[in-house]
Amino acid sequence: MAARVLQQCVRSLARPSLRLCSGNPAVRAAAAPAVAIHRPLSSAADSRRTRWLGQSRIPSVGVFCRQYGDLPPFTIEVIRDRVMYVLKLYDKINPEKLQTSSHFMKDLGLDSLDQVEIIMAMEDEFGFEIPDAEAEKLMSPEEIVQYIADKKDVYE
Amino acid sequence: MAASARAQVISLYRSMLSASKKFPSYNYRTYALRRVRDAFRANRNIEDPKTVARLMTEGQQTLALIQRQVTIGKMFESQKIVVEG
Repeated sequence: MAARVLQQCVRSLARPSLRLCSGNPAVRAAAAPAVAIHRPLSSAADSRRTRWLGQSRIPSVGVFCRQYGDLPPFTIEVIRDRVMYVLKLYDKINPEKLQTSSHFMKDLGLDSLDQVEIIMAMEDEFGFEIPDAEAEKLMSPEEIVQYIADKKDVYE
Repeated sequence: MAASARAQVISLYRSMLSASKKFPSYNYRTYALRRVRDAFRANRNIEDPKTVARLMTEGQQTLALIQRQVTIGKMFESQKIVVEG
């Protein structure tokens, strides 16, 4: 019975302070000793508190802490999606005919000037320069994806 | 067209487009991009080496002109207009 009352106390102490602590380090520091005082009381209370912490931490971090500087992982699929998105927006390409393997000149009927413009659009999208010598070899979406993956050190 | 001349034309096209993109003023920028694209497309079927050489010198002069005007434009930069978003 006494143990149960103590558990209630621990929970009522821990709950409001934890809710606040996601944003404010001062509150977190104040909450830590209050929780620590009750630690030796009983192992049941202890395990319950950790379980409760485990449940509450994850959503509260997701909701309250904005994860600055976090990007979605840069994988081959992401590169492929972005390349295909840029190509679909290019007005001389028919989006229905476009496939990852299609050749710009043979399959899509573009000329070398269009190809230059596509490569420049890719430079804008991915933020780096593609030199002339390599740009003229990139003739299909798949080759562009492969080239960008090599440059950005992305491997499958 | 010879392969070397072709590579030179492509390279000129690239540098003219990337120079035109640097215009701070929206109107000059879109005009320059459109003008460069149209000029290269209008002359795409020319095979005569002399004409190609003449157009290349003209293009190089225009490239220098664009670069000068971009520099001047940056000295007198004004607010972005509404359509630029």
